[in-house]
Amino acid sequence: MNLSKILKNAFLVIVASIVLTACATQKKSTGQTQGDVYTGSDSVEYLASGVKDRVFFATNETVLTTASRETLRKQAAWLRKNSKLNIVLEGHADERGTREYNLALGERRANSAKDYLMTYGISSDRISVISYGKERPVDSGSTPLSWSKNRRSVSVKAN
Amino acid sequence: MNRNIIISFGLHTLLVIITAMSLPFLAKKPIDLPPIVSVELIQISDKTNIPFAPKAKKIIEKVKEKEKKLVSEQAPPKKLKKLKPDAVALPDEKIEKIKKIKDEKQNPEKVDTEVKQISEFEKKDLFDPSNIAALIDKSKLDTAETNKKLDKVTQDQDKDADFAGLTLSEEDALKAQIFGCWSIPLGLPYNENLLVRIKLQLKPDGTIIRTEILDHARMNKPGQKFYKVLAESALRAVKLCQPLRVPSKGYERWKELQLNFDAREMLEG
Amino acid sequence: MILRNLIILLILLPIKAFAVIEVDITRGNLNPLPIAVSPLSIDEESKNRFKKILKKDNIGAEISAVVENNLRQSGLFNPLNKDAFLQKPDIANLKPRFEDWSLIKAQVLITGKVTFVDENLRVEFRLWDVLGGKEMKALAFTTVPSNWRRVGHIITDKVYETLTGEKGYFDTRIIYVAEEGLKTNRIKKLAIMDQDGFNNKFLTLGNELVLTPRFSPTNQMVTYLSYFRNLPRVYLLDIETGMQEVVGDFPGMTFAPRFSPDGKKIIMSFAQDGNSDIYTMDLENRIVERITNHPSIDTSPSYSPDGKYITFNSDRSGYQQIYVMNSNGKNVKRISFGNGLYGTPVWSPRGDLIAFTKLHKGKFYIGVMRTDGSGERLLTENFYQEAPSWSPNGRVLIFYRETKTNSKGEGFSAKLWSIDLTGYNEKMVETETDASDPSWSSLLSN
Repeated sequence: MNLSKILKNAFLVIVASIVLTACATQKKSTGQTQGDVYTGSDSVEYLASGVKDRVFFATNETVLTTASRETLRKQAAWLRKNSKLNIVLEGHADERGTREYNLALGERRANSAKDYLMTYGISSDRISVISYGKERPVDSGSTPLSWSKNRRSVSVKAN
Repeated sequence: MNRNIIISFGLHTLLVIITAMSLPFLAKKPIDLPPIVSVELIQISDKTNIPFAPKAKKIIEKVKEKEKKLVSEQAPPKKLKKLKPDAVALPDEKIEKIKKIKDEKQNPEKVDTEVKQISEFEKKDLFDPSNIAALIDKSKLDTAETNKKLDKVTQDQDKDADFAGLTLSEEDALKAQIFGCWSIPLGLPYNENLLVRIKLQLKPDGTIIRTEILDHARMNKPGQKFYKVLAESALRAVKLCQPLRVPSKGYERWKELQLNFDAREMLEG
Repeated sequence: MILRNLIILLILLPIKAFAVIEVDITRGNLNPLPIAVSPLSIDEESKNRFKKILKKDNIGAEISAVVENNLRQSGLFNPLNKDAFLQKPDIANLKPRFEDWSLIKAQVLITGKVTFVDENLRVEFRLWDVLGGKEMKALAFTTVPSNWRRVGHIITDKVYETLTGEKGYFDTRIIYVAEEGLKTNRIKKLAIMDQDGFNNKFLTLGNELVLTPRFSPTNQMVTYLSYFRNLPRVYLLDIETGMQEVVGDFPGMTFAPRFSPDGKKIIMSFAQDGNSDIYTMDLENRIVERITNHPSIDTSPSYSPDGKYITFNSDRSGYQQIYVMNSNGKNVKRISFGNGLYGTPVWSPRGDLIAFTKLHKGKFYIGVMRTDGSGERLLTENFYQEAPSWSPNGRVLIFYRETKTNSKGEGFSAKLWSIDLTGYNEKMVETETDASDPSWSSLLSN
């Protein structure tokens, strides 16, 4: 094998491996979701400056991500400052499931957020919970990105 | 952090070098072309229409005659209108069966010696599908002429038929007719228990004198409504198919038939 | 030796002579049965009386049109074109000339007569076996003129039963959720209609979200989920009086309600602190009983027809699966083991099958399985469909489908669909608006 051949081969291999790495999937962040949880800012509103009003979930999951806990800690701090305020936690699910199970899933997600707020000293009689299942999507699209925006628990001022 | 990058880079480079040196497909090899062989295309017929010796030719004619008679006598004429797509396959099947029948019904030894003397290509010619199809159409005319000659053969067949019942082609023809007439009720719980057997008494022209559902008492038993529904559908099928296309000979054989209606093959599960 | 052979021969010979040729008929056609539905005959006076009351020119023809449509929609019958009929309705009803009818390929014939008697509608009908040349069934009954459509449905039920061996499902109603508006803010109302789509009526106004309605076995009461005053709870509604009441006094969301087979209890899910369990409430003494007690989500309960068992949806294994338990909550057994998620189990009125929704690799399926989980059979696949409900004879499943939206999020629609248990006759059920959450009533007549 002469030198030019080796160099040519090396070049081809490098190009091939670059192509391969570009095709990597799964847990990589595709810009707006990470591990199936929405991380973007579309549809997100603010209860107060810097306090996001919602947290997102992975498909069929009710577990809080690190980002979600960060958001909820800020919500707790804001609630402690405004001790007269009560909130309603609205739990939602995406459309890729049966209607009744989604109602239960939404309720569980809202309670997931509620439990976390309570660990930061917010009394449970300040927080009520309601589930809308898949009935009130915020994004009417039929794509995984749309669905990820709909899997949420939203904190709404109750008074 | 930096050290890790350097080590990672070094290992990656090593990997690239190793693959570059050893990848086989990247090396160019000369292509070996197989040598060109000249092929001449010829028509089969050019090779197969070999003229035979006079004696062989006579024997071939005789065998051809026998084939003609057998075909016209044994193949019941079909009502072409009622043909389902399946039935269209029958002509091919008939050829196979005629072959078999020919072997069984005639004196086996005689046929064997004749067959041996015929060349491969001629045999093929004998069983040409289009020829036989043409023969079938003319069968009605043939029957009148060849009646006398056929009588002997028919009687032989009767004896044998008592063992064999309907010939395969006759049975297939009968089945094909009923298949076309039977509207199978969907959704019944088809299992080993949901079979209906009907005995028919037929006139020579194929019209039905009498139908009898075996296990008739079951029709009106409580909890057997599905059996009743299936039995009624079978009766309708039989009545719809009247007059049945029956073999022109051998009335004694088929004047009484039993039809076993079983929808499981089509619907189980 | 020779004697022995002779005896054997003698014994065998007679047997041979008596052997009847047997032919196995294992195939046929699966085409719908050709049936002729003759318009019901009616005398001039009756015709005019009914025209005045019902505003219909020929009530005899109208009723037979109901029958004809029902038979065609079932997928099992092929009603023949009336223009080809040779015999007039009044003569055909007395004694049909069977050759005339078999000429047009009818295998079965329906004839009948309608008369105005004492302010009521009296109908008699006959079912004839054209090929056999005999009458198969004859019935007569009387009802108020406004029930004329039901007359057609009852006739269809009787004909269906005679020809298939099963009870019919035509004199029934379907309750469902009528929906309109943007996908992000749907307006939903409870609606009820005859099984053939006629006589559609709205039961709620659309001011609050309503979901998953169910008929009681007596068909007079309906239970459903309502978000009245922003509190999602199970409600009872009396169709005749319009009266509504909350079921029980639960401190949290109740949902997924159904009636027990005897109509005396409501079974539903109650969600609290992230956990959903199954509860029942006796409608008479209002006693509430807890049936499941597990930190998982337990929902979509459905009683077996004898009331002894309950099938339900639970994620106690980690994902949505189908379970069966005794009606007192004991002896919980998982029955779904295929790949994918399973939900909305519904026990067939025949007792032998459970229908369900399945989600696998991004596709939704409606299927059935035996009550021990074996024999899983998927009937249809779609982008989104769920919530099958059985016809009262356990033969047809009605469910709903939603469509994909385009890149702008537009084009959403929801429609009711039905399919025969054999997998045949998959078709859309026409509704005025979009529709979802259908539930089939039991037979209105008994």
